[in-house]
Amino acid sequence: MFRFIHSSDLHIGKRFGSMPEELRGRLRDARHTVLDRLAVQARAGEAGTILLAGDCFDTETPSPAMLRQALAAMAGHAPLRWIMLPGNHDSLLADELWAAARAALPANVLLATEPEPIELEPGIMLLPAPCTTRRPGRDLTDWMDRAATPEGALRIGLAHGAIQSFSEDGVGLDIIAPDRAARSGLDYLALGDWHGQMRVNARSWYSGAPEPDRFKHDEPGRALLVSLAGPGAAPEVVPVETGSFDWRTLPLDLLSGDDAAAVLAERLPSGSLRRQSLLRVVATGRLRPQARAGLDAAVAAVTPEFAHLVLETEGLATDCESEDLDAIDRAGALRHAADRLLAESLDESRAAGERQAARDALVRLFSYCEGMPS
Amino acid sequence: MKLTALRLHNVRRFAGRGVAVEGIGDGVNVLCAVNEFGKSTCFDALHALFFQPHSGTPGAVQGLRPYSGGNPLVEADILTGQGAFRLTKQFYGGRRAMVRELGSGRLVAQADEAERFIANLVQGGTTGPAGLLWVRQGITGIERRAKSDEEGEKRARESVLTSVQGEVESLTGGRRMAQAVADCEEELSRLVTATGRPKAGGPYAQAIEERDRLVETERRLSAEVRELREALDKRRSLRARLAELENPEQQATRLREVTQAEAALTAARAHGEALKTAEVEVALARNRLDAARQALDSHCRNWARFAVLRDLDTDGRRKRDEAQARQRAASEAGQVAATAVDTAEREEREARDLLSRLEKSLRARDAAEHLAGLLQSHAKAEAGRAEVEAIQAELKAIALPANAVKQLEAIETELVGLRAVVAARVPLLRVDYRAGVTGAVGLDGVALGDGEERSLTRSAGLEIEGVGRLTLTLPHGRDGHDELAQAEARCRALLATLGVGSLVEARQRESAIRDLTGRLGLAQQRLALLAPDGLAALRETIARLEAQSAGSVEVKGDPEAVRGALAMAEARVTASRNAQREAQSARDAAGALVVSTERALASVASELSGLAAMLGAEEGRQALDMQLAAALAEADAVFSAAQAQVETLRAGATDLAGAEAKFRRMRSVVDAAAAEIATMREEAAGLNALIGARSNDAIEEAWQEASDKLAAAQKRLAGLEREVALLTRLRDALEAARAEARDHYFAPVMGELRPLLGLLFEDATVTFDEETLLPRTVSRNGLEEPVGVLSGGMREQLAVLTRLAFARLLAKDGQPTPVILDDALVYSDDDRIERMFDALHRQASNQQIIVFSCRQRAFAQLGGNILRLVPWVPEG
Repeated sequence: MFRFIHSSDLHIGKRFGSMPEELRGRLRDARHTVLDRLAVQARAGEAGTILLAGDCFDTETPSPAMLRQALAAMAGHAPLRWIMLPGNHDSLLADELWAAARAALPANVLLATEPEPIELEPGIMLLPAPCTTRRPGRDLTDWMDRAATPEGALRIGLAHGAIQSFSEDGVGLDIIAPDRAARSGLDYLALGDWHGQMRVNARSWYSGAPEPDRFKHDEPGRALLVSLAGPGAAPEVVPVETGSFDWRTLPLDLLSGDDAAAVLAERLPSGSLRRQSLLRVVATGRLRPQARAGLDAAVAAVTPEFAHLVLETEGLATDCESEDLDAIDRAGALRHAADRLLAESLDESRAAGERQAARDALVRLFSYCEGMPS
Repeated sequence: MKLTALRLHNVRRFAGRGVAVEGIGDGVNVLCAVNEFGKSTCFDALHALFFQPHSGTPGAVQGLRPYSGGNPLVEADILTGQGAFRLTKQFYGGRRAMVRELGSGRLVAQADEAERFIANLVQGGTTGPAGLLWVRQGITGIERRAKSDEEGEKRARESVLTSVQGEVESLTGGRRMAQAVADCEEELSRLVTATGRPKAGGPYAQAIEERDRLVETERRLSAEVRELREALDKRRSLRARLAELENPEQQATRLREVTQAEAALTAARAHGEALKTAEVEVALARNRLDAARQALDSHCRNWARFAVLRDLDTDGRRKRDEAQARQRAASEAGQVAATAVDTAEREEREARDLLSRLEKSLRARDAAEHLAGLLQSHAKAEAGRAEVEAIQAELKAIALPANAVKQLEAIETELVGLRAVVAARVPLLRVDYRAGVTGAVGLDGVALGDGEERSLTRSAGLEIEGVGRLTLTLPHGRDGHDELAQAEARCRALLATLGVGSLVEARQRESAIRDLTGRLGLAQQRLALLAPDGLAALRETIARLEAQSAGSVEVKGDPEAVRGALAMAEARVTASRNAQREAQSARDAAGALVVSTERALASVASELSGLAAMLGAEEGRQALDMQLAAALAEADAVFSAAQAQVETLRAGATDLAGAEAKFRRMRSVVDAAAAEIATMREEAAGLNALIGARSNDAIEEAWQEASDKLAAAQKRLAGLEREVALLTRLRDALEAARAEARDHYFAPVMGELRPLLGLLFEDATVTFDEETLLPRTVSRNGLEEPVGVLSGGMREQLAVLTRLAFARLLAKDGQPTPVILDDALVYSDDDRIERMFDALHRQASNQQIIVFSCRQRAFAQLGGNILRLVPWVPEG
């Protein structure tokens, strides 16, 4: 029985420039500490080895401190053994990175920078396919078919890249054969690149990022605990939680009569999780102006409790009826202005920008009037 | 409401007394009086009555009190829909307010109730709109007014509009609208300036700045990342190249190749040297061969020449001998010729000598003959000459100058004449002696003959014997004596000069001279015949002849024969000489021939002897021939061998240039590799530094961060732009709606005001201020001006017309209200005032208007009910 943790796409050093200043440091830090959480899971699962299937670092030139701290963290978890594979973000082109890593390499860290079998232990052979460049333009795992390993040894593939016509970076030219594990007689193919966890087949898995970095996958940060009973035996693959921040998208499909604020309140995660949550509320459907203003207000009210909260309303239309306008004023100049804005927002002959401005103006007018004594 | 009477007591200038304005009627009422008459006092009192609570003493009330103090009392009679009332207010001491029904005198209200009653009248209250409209100087803004006054009046106007148009608020959106506009403005003002530009320091401007800054940062970082990646790529290729260059196998190969090339070069060079030596030897051998061949050739040539020379020598000797023989012959011929010449010459000399002697003797004979003749001639010539000389000497002795005779003759003639004159004039003395006395009288010592006449001169002494001496003195002149004396003197002088005693003698001499001259001529002719060339030449000839003739020997012979012999001798001489010359030239030719033959023989001989010496002895000649031939053969063999050697070397020669080029190329390959390695290491070091610096800066992370930040900033900016658009749109919508509502609100009063304005101003429109409910701007001829900048006259006219418009609105609503004007038209000209009054009268049909004015004259003609101040004593 050989057990190991399969992870990838740590993207250490990622800076999250689009996030608010105060959150950036925490997100960045979480990418570091995920090493500790992986180690914890390894020990818990009685695994002695952690395979990192590429993109350990976000760029080819992480700051020396960043690299050294990561290596130090790994060294700190000896005798756990770490194996790092160059991915597309930290490909072999990153001379400086790998030279520096080699120079300060702890004993329990192995760099899989050559497409040659590595004997992890007697009878356990690792076949790495390091990324040679940012876009190799070919299937780097090709060599595994011909790689000779001792009779009866476990063959574990380690690769980074897209397996179907999708990829984390959106360009899917360098496709790894989906049946590489079968073709090359691999007992397990540990894949990286896709930040969501995914089973390709019984022997091929994407571990997903252990610490998520975007809303795209809408799942917690996880790694895989893999147990191989012996050559040819089906691998036992168990997802393990490693994430620190939760990146979630909250879809709100609203109907005209809904009380959006109430719907939101119902679906928000519980208070204790909010500090570690990055939430994207995607509102769609239609809302009456008051409800719309209410939604804005409700989002504004809870935002400080979350690590990050954004409300996306591109798909949300505002329905206005006469009673809604009554909330502004029943008659007089104010009502007159509201009527005109409404008409403008619905006037198809006007440019989209103008209609949008009129719609926004009307919603704003609602919010003004709501705050006034009637 | 209408006012019917106003009374006041103890108010301001009316201290301790009262005045009343009674009988205020409908239409226009005018209280026209000079200044300081109390019009304003009336106005202020009336105002206080309606607007000042009786219990207070604000400024307006204090202003009513006289300097002397006291308690101002104001009373007015009014007529309302409810009936006629009398309003009374007293301030300060005994302060009170009360309302009585005028007809019955019933007390309707007092104190606060009375105040409320009055307030209802003027401010509308619940019953209706305000009951009074005021215009006074101050309303034009020229005079400061209490805020409460303004407020009260505004309230009055507002109530008017509300009564006809509804609540302002409900129309313009009121506070909600104002609040919304304010909120919108506030939000907008945080983002943009009044002109819509991003506000400096505001979030919008900051977002733009942030975006711009990030664009710049991103651009810079992206360039740096690109630079880094390029550096990495470059370093990678450098390293690959370096690895290639520094590959030991390749380096060894390169070195081996260099060594090989060097060895090949050395071999090629050695071969080249050998070839060069062999070539030198060949050249040497060829030289030797040539020398041997030349030696043999010259030897053969020498022999041939020797043979020729020998022949030439023999021939030359023969020729020389012949020439010598000929020379000898010529010499002999020359001797003969010389002898012939000598003989001929001697004969010639002899002949010549003979001839000469002969001729000499002939000449001597001739000379002697000639000499005799000449001697004769000479003697004659000598005689002739002596004769000539004698004649000449004679002539010389008697010679007279030319003309001498003629002169003498002339003087003689003159003398005769003069004597005649003297004779004619001279006193003559003549003594005729008595017989017998002789000589008794002497004149000047000379005795006078008898009868002798004597001329007396100037002084004559007459000695008369026995008598004594008689002296006669004659006067001088006119007697011709002087002239005669002079002429005689001249004659004497001339005679003396001529040496003759007289003219006769002179004439004798002259003829003697003529004779002599004739003789001389003859003698001279004779002499010339005898000695034509003169005596000297004759003597010379004689001398010569004498010489010739002297010593001559008589020679016999025929000169002609002698002369012929001489000619023959001369011919012989010439012929012999010619023969001698011919012989000489023959001799010369023979000599020259001898010399030339000798010379030719000498040169041949010398050459011959030289050759003979060279050729050596006759017996060794064969051996020498063979020796030379052998040397030639040997040299030829040596040359052929050397030639063959060179051929061999040439055939086996390697390409030296090629070997050198290859060696150089190999060397340069090695050097270039070394240089390239050095350069690349250097370049790599530079790249290392750059890459190290960039990597240490985590440049890519920074770039991604900047890109993300830029995206976020752009998103934020887009949000802000949308916000600005939204707020701008909202503000515009609100303002537009409010302006519309305002226009609608003021429509009724505008409706009333427009015809009134038309009376004074053509084509003028007015906008109202929402706050004050008074005109804010006036537009004329398309130009909109705030009221504040209008002229005073226009402002007060506008103020009056506005009040009239409000009053008409009230009147239409069934609530007629008095309009009170206190000196409201101070700035207006008479024409305008007249037109204003037209407006007022037009109003006044069912409108009470009370005008206080000091402009008596202007208002005198305007009609209306004239009011007067009359003394009044309050009741009780």
